[in-house]
Amino acid sequence: MSTRFGLCSVLVSAVWFGAASAHAEPLAPHQPYAQASLGVRVGKVGDDGYDAFSSSDELTQFSLGLSSTVYRHQRFSLAAAGFWDYGQKSSTARGEQTELDVHRLTIGPELRYHLLPPLYFFVHALPAFAHSSASLQDSVAQVTRYARHWSYGVDVAGGAAYEVYGAQTGWPKPRIWIIAEGGYGYLGSTSLEMLPDAGQGPQRPAAVDLGSLSLAGPYFRASAAVGF
Amino acid sequence: MRKVGIMTKLAWLMWGTLALGCGGRPSSWDTPYTPGSSQNGLSSAYGMTGSVAVLDTALKRVTMLSAPSSLTLTSQSIALGTGLVAAQLSADRKTLFALSRGVQPQRTPNDERPQLLLIDGGTTPKISRSYTLTEPMDQLALDPQNEWAVVYSGDGVVVNLNELVLVNLAKTGADALSSKTLLSFGGSPRRFTFTAPLSVPGGDPRRFLIVERDSDLVLIDLAAPDREAVTVPLPSADNGGTASSAQVVYDADSASIAVRVTGTTSVYMLQLTAPARSDQDFSVVTNLVDVGGQPAAIDFVHNSQGLRLVALVQNSAVLVEPDTATTQSVQMPAAFSGIRRITNDLNPAAAAATDGDVALLYGPNIPKIAYFNLSGAPGALFRSIEAYDIGVSVKNVIDVPGEHYFDHKILETPNQQFYVLDLSTRESAPMKTNAGLTLEVAPDGERVWAYNPGQTGFASVDFASLHPVSVIAERPVSNVFDIQSNDGQRAAVALHLSGGSGIGATVLDASAPSTAYAHFYSGFELGGVK
Repeated sequence: MSTRFGLCSVLVSAVWFGAASAHAEPLAPHQPYAQASLGVRVGKVGDDGYDAFSSSDELTQFSLGLSSTVYRHQRFSLAAAGFWDYGQKSSTARGEQTELDVHRLTIGPELRYHLLPPLYFFVHALPAFAHSSASLQDSVAQVTRYARHWSYGVDVAGGAAYEVYGAQTGWPKPRIWIIAEGGYGYLGSTSLEMLPDAGQGPQRPAAVDLGSLSLAGPYFRASAAVGF
Repeated sequence: MRKVGIMTKLAWLMWGTLALGCGGRPSSWDTPYTPGSSQNGLSSAYGMTGSVAVLDTALKRVTMLSAPSSLTLTSQSIALGTGLVAAQLSADRKTLFALSRGVQPQRTPNDERPQLLLIDGGTTPKISRSYTLTEPMDQLALDPQNEWAVVYSGDGVVVNLNELVLVNLAKTGADALSSKTLLSFGGSPRRFTFTAPLSVPGGDPRRFLIVERDSDLVLIDLAAPDREAVTVPLPSADNGGTASSAQVVYDADSASIAVRVTGTTSVYMLQLTAPARSDQDFSVVTNLVDVGGQPAAIDFVHNSQGLRLVALVQNSAVLVEPDTATTQSVQMPAAFSGIRRITNDLNPAAAAATDGDVALLYGPNIPKIAYFNLSGAPGALFRSIEAYDIGVSVKNVIDVPGEHYFDHKILETPNQQFYVLDLSTRESAPMKTNAGLTLEVAPDGERVWAYNPGQTGFASVDFASLHPVSVIAERPVSNVFDIQSNDGQRAAVALHLSGGSGIGATVLDASAPSTAYAHFYSGFELGGVK
């Protein structure tokens, strides 16, 4: 309850301060030509295939983003945005060490609406390309087994960005933004037929079949960005 | 103001993280694989006709490995009951019996009850039947003919040590169960013998369950299990102390039972006869026959004059005529302590027409075996024993099933050798191993597998050629089983359970074993985890 109250306080304060300054400065300097962000993405993966690699449904990823505004029209702007998310989970599956590495690359359009110069809301639908590398330390075979796959999908999300600092003089005039977004990231399923790398382990090893893995699920991303 | 805003954002971030991260995984993933322990009376794995059953006690399940072809394996898990206390294979290896205690103590009506689960171990494993028990019990005894099972003994607040639950395997549901309390003078069941149909005078041939207790025997008529059982006290030891039964044998045609009793030079003979009273189905006539020494083994045989009981007493074999209790002693070339009737193995088709039985004599402390041929004239018994010096002692004689090599026996020795004995030609083929020895005869009777648990090497000996083929697995082998594959071929499954960390196996063509074509499997313990 207090958290929600705090959130509302921040938004109301932002609107109030923004409204106060809206008439004092133009909008364009707040629509960044380029923006680089660094943050964290937390996803919820409900797929059963994820259980072998994590004791919870959460997947936390380091998130690096780049965007560039390509079109402006009054309060609206259109940017090209892209993210690279990387995360790793490790756990045990009935005593055997397991690990999952996930790289996720998303790129696509982002539509922004500046309610106030230091505050904009956005939505985006970004085609996603993910590479997952699942591994299982097989103590019977005395080898590490892997399932490495590409999968494809889309991230659909909306969020808000608030400018917490903006240089008034000099060039370039860096502006620092706090960005939060939430949405749903869809990715197709990949097989979890775990095999050792060629030449490793016993001869003619059969795959350990852990089913399939889909990393689809809702997610939340919080990041800090610097824009120009 | 800004400070407050940052703190609020952090709180929001944490809330979001927690909200998204909620939800765990089944606890099975955090439960390491635990093989069946011999300390608990369980085996880690059971070789069946068309599959291998590997106990996974931590997850209360059995992983069934079957072979689609002779070089491939597939697995499926079958849930066992909670509190597995006993698991046994049927004599024909087609069924695994799993006895579980259920949830104890019961707290709700829906708590799992004690049960006896029957799993079909064919090429397509499945649960074939289950029997729900009213009370948890710990012990299980199986009928070699797969008609009956007995569960008994428990550890409740009060336990009736002499209560048996007889399970008629021809029936299903509660109708199959009959509870029976044996009259007791202080003993409790120790061993069970399910007889073949005994030709009791005055009635149809019927099977009996002989229950050996501390100081008596109980005979249960399996044709009428609800009828009162007959308790037969055992004789005292020669020093006046309490004696117990060491061996029970029977002859079906004459309805005779003989008991080797500890601490006495006598053999206890029981004859089931026509009922003496109208409320009886049969009566028991007992006789105590002194054989001149404490026998090491007994068995019924037929000679040219009829039924005899053979008692091996030191360096002699004493033949007892059951009706008159007269004895005849035959000097033996060694102090044999094991006897195995092999008449049917020599010529099963004409077994009934032979003049007398042939028995194989052996012992764990003497380097000889002997054939005891009882078809000769009674006065020439000294010529009926044909001894062979094989150089090693024999601790066990293993039968060979199937249609082709039923006249072969495997002689298991206490050391690193075993013998393949051809009863028809009386030729023995010694096989030497480079390590300890565990033998596994293929259910189709075509070969025997030898291995030493924990070592990588194992071998098969084909009975047709007696040619041993040694193979070296890539990981230590805990068991080797020979199963039928779905395509009708044979697959050898060498299990890798030694580390206790998982279930692995090397599968190879049992008919032509070669690691050049073998396939390695592991991770079966991860299959079907929910």
